[in-house]
Amino acid sequence: MQSDTRSTAKERKREAIIREALEQFSKRGYYSTTIPDIASALDMSVGNLYNYFQSKEILAREILRYISRYLGNRIKEINESEETTKEKLFKIVDIYFKTASKEPEMIDYFLRVYLSNREVFQEECKGMTCVTEFVAEIMIFFENGVARGDLKNQEFFSAFGLFMGYLGGMAFLNGEEILPKELQEFSKDVSENIYNALKI
Amino acid sequence: MKKSIELIEKIEGEAELHCAYGTDGRVVDAQIQFTSARNIEKILQGRDPKDALIINPRVCGICNHAHLIATVRALEACYKSVKISQKSQICREVTLSLELIQSHFKWFYLTIMPLLGFKPAIEKALKPSRIAAEAIAAFAGQYPHNSYAIAGGIVSDITPIELINAKERIEALKKLFKESLIDADPALFKECDKIETMLKHRGDMPLAMAKIIENGWQMMGKSEDRFIVFAEGAFKKGKSIGTRVSTNISTGHIKEESIKRSLAKRVLYKDRGYEVGPLARAMLMKTALIKESHRKYADSIFSRILARVCEIPQLIIYIESLLHRLDLSEESWIDPGEFPKRAVGAGVVEAARGSLVHKVEIEEGVIKEYNIITPTQWNLGSGDIEKPGIAQKALIGLKNSDPIELVLKSFDVCSVCTTH
Amino acid sequence: MVEKLQQNRILWLSSLTCNGNSHSLLNHPNLDLLLQNIQFLYHPLLPSRYRLKEVIQNSYECEILVIEGSIDPTLKINGVKMIDVITRYSSIAEVVITAGTCSTFGGIFSRSNEKASGLHFREEKRTEDFKNIWQKSISLPGCPVHPDLIFKTIQMILKGLYIDLDECRRPKIFYGWTVHDGCNRNEYYEYKIGHHRFGEMEGCMFIDHGCRAPFTRGSCNKILWNGINSKTRAGQPCSGCTEPDFPAFNLWETKKHMGIPAHAPLGVPKRAYISIAGVAKAFKIERFEKRILKKGSAVEKKH
Ligand code: SF4
Ligand code: SF4
Repeated sequence: MQSDTRSTAKERKREAIIREALEQFSKRGYYSTTIPDIASALDMSVGNLYNYFQSKEILAREILRYISRYLGNRIKEINESEETTKEKLFKIVDIYFKTASKEPEMIDYFLRVYLSNREVFQEECKGMTCVTEFVAEIMIFFENGVARGDLKNQEFFSAFGLFMGYLGGMAFLNGEEILPKELQEFSKDVSENIYNALKI
Repeated sequence: MKKSIELIEKIEGEAELHCAYGTDGRVVDAQIQFTSARNIEKILQGRDPKDALIINPRVCGICNHAHLIATVRALEACYKSVKISQKSQICREVTLSLELIQSHFKWFYLTIMPLLGFKPAIEKALKPSRIAAEAIAAFAGQYPHNSYAIAGGIVSDITPIELINAKERIEALKKLFKESLIDADPALFKECDKIETMLKHRGDMPLAMAKIIENGWQMMGKSEDRFIVFAEGAFKKGKSIGTRVSTNISTGHIKEESIKRSLAKRVLYKDRGYEVGPLARAMLMKTALIKESHRKYADSIFSRILARVCEIPQLIIYIESLLHRLDLSEESWIDPGEFPKRAVGAGVVEAARGSLVHKVEIEEGVIKEYNIITPTQWNLGSGDIEKPGIAQKALIGLKNSDPIELVLKSFDVCSVCTTH
Repeated sequence: MVEKLQQNRILWLSSLTCNGNSHSLLNHPNLDLLLQNIQFLYHPLLPSRYRLKEVIQNSYECEILVIEGSIDPTLKINGVKMIDVITRYSSIAEVVITAGTCSTFGGIFSRSNEKASGLHFREEKRTEDFKNIWQKSISLPGCPVHPDLIFKTIQMILKGLYIDLDECRRPKIFYGWTVHDGCNRNEYYEYKIGHHRFGEMEGCMFIDHGCRAPFTRGSCNKILWNGINSKTRAGQPCSGCTEPDFPAFNLWETKKHMGIPAHAPLGVPKRAYISIAGVAKAFKIERFEKRILKKGSAVEKKH
């Protein structure tokens, strides 16, 4: 989460819960993980945990927002820089791969929990409302790329699908330990492929 | 040879009238020169054809709507075929006719009446033109300068509310016509075929016409007695040499010619100049009262002025009959499909001052050439002594003490249109 | 030669114009009230104290100068350069109003004429000309300017009321908000309901059809045109006629980059717009899915 100098003990606790739940959900799956499991791992009472999150569904959704914000904030920094579109794209891919290897639970959560338990997210996370920050930054990246005359103007989803499908696929292969080398070592080639596919 | 240069103002801009007088003190040559050019046609080059719908009304503040309708017709002509509903067709005709009405009211009260020595009656000009503008806005969003007609129909969803808003105002216009122009119902007045009868009525129209006779000006301002009308709708298409009518005309025979020293071009049909506008339209439609006027006073200012005022009641009746046929359940807009990448099209319309022609050429999806021929070019374009322009001819032979300005302005000159 | 006349004298001068602003003013329902309080030394349509020729040749005292049309330094009327006439009277007048986009920003006619420009601006760029009268200028852009804006501005001047102006010298009371404010398609805008079809009351034209109202300053949709309607209410996308860049290109289509509007609403960061739009678009709202007015429900009884 964005480092907030005013962050209080309560906020730190909240983040700790999210972190712990994130790990357990992505390792054991959403349904096999219970609130008491998470509470005991954190050495807190179930009642106290419910003070922070009223239900498991709410917690699950908050995690999704947390990840989206986490990635979104990093991409935002890239978007706001003066780099070229190509350079920015490399950095975005690199951040994504870095997260996938250093904090695999985040990307796992995306791939395993969010995408395979749609019923949990259905109503409250309609469309992409729980991942707004992340998607918004990708949109801004695309928009800027077109405005600068680097990327081809097309429907958002045809570009977004190509982009996410590729990154997700690589993260999946990495998770399955199929890749011969570190995921981040692919950043350059992958970003170049994406750039070539999207460029004008 | 005595010469004079007059700055003619309040003609939607200005023009210079250069007159040369013979030894008998009569005008032997009159040149009308427009001095500013705005090159609208150039602005359009390289643009999406639909942009013309927004840009072209800006040719002219008083006949902007005619330019819109001419544009949409030119664009629609670029398609192989375009379906448009009767509803949108009617709406376009109604708003166009309303524009003519407001223009005629303004011209009569702000231009003609003062030249006949009457005190300017601002409210009598502005109230009806404001109400007509409101009625246009009810359908089209605003007036002046809307672009509500697009290829395939109109952008507005005409509901009973818009219809009521418009109808209320048509009623008000009818009342104003009776109160100020002539104390007769438009429908009854349309039947009138005697100048004598008209003059016996109360109202500013008989007042003005009587004044022309009283001053002995009724035979002045005669021109070539050749008339042409290109668009249908409220009017009939065709040309009339004197009273001999032929309906077989085509825009293909129109030719524009540059004029020395003036930024306006003159227009000829098969190499001859023709008068356009209300008198031409009345000649083609054989309007009873104008027929009589033509018989008595030929194509003089009397006929010309009377013809323009007489269009007001005729248009009011036309609008009423159109609205009566309006079926609101029809579509306002039928998607004509993608605009052709390569095409040519022409659109004609009867604007307040006469036939207005727009021609467009599309290449690679953008406008390559755009050409606008305005009514004032027909009437005001100058020629030479052998082949004078229409207004020029009307001025030649007048004495300095004659109502030169009135003769010129009887054509309802529009400087901005001429120098688009 | 300076003649002393009565107070509240307005001189209306035209340069390269279509006369649309003059005609637009004539549509004001209370014009007669204005005419009781002021005198037109010259107006292109209304009866005036002087003829244009006299105005050009002499220097009459006037309090308000209204300029309509793009200023072309080469344009001559009656042998005199219009720009000289404008210069002369702008130093005499106490207030100079630019009526319309042409005299304010150059507008449509400056697109085919490199020399023509607005009084202080050529599109958004400030020019060097007329710097000395900047302090007494008021900009009323619009193509044409709404009659009530001229009317109310003159009233404010006559009554000595303070007029709060923005950086282009536009009265904020008229140009502080956008044309989008007050459009009856606002609900569709809020929820990003894109399926606008021409000829229908429903739908917002910002999504696909090029409506520029969210980044166009003006009050068209609040004071309404001709007292009853507006273009966007009727169904024509706002073409941004009050803005320095009028007329932009491709006015019937929303410019998008990968589906994202290239032009965000006035002052709204793209990030904010995208986030809010993303949320709004996520929900399917029944009420906006279908037409509200049933086709055919609007049928007038045939007689
Ligand atoms: S159509 Fe234009 S003015 Fe109306 S709500 Fe949409 S963006 Fe705003
Ligand atoms: S709605 Fe837009 S285009 Fe229309 S007059 Fe207002 S600012 Fe101009």
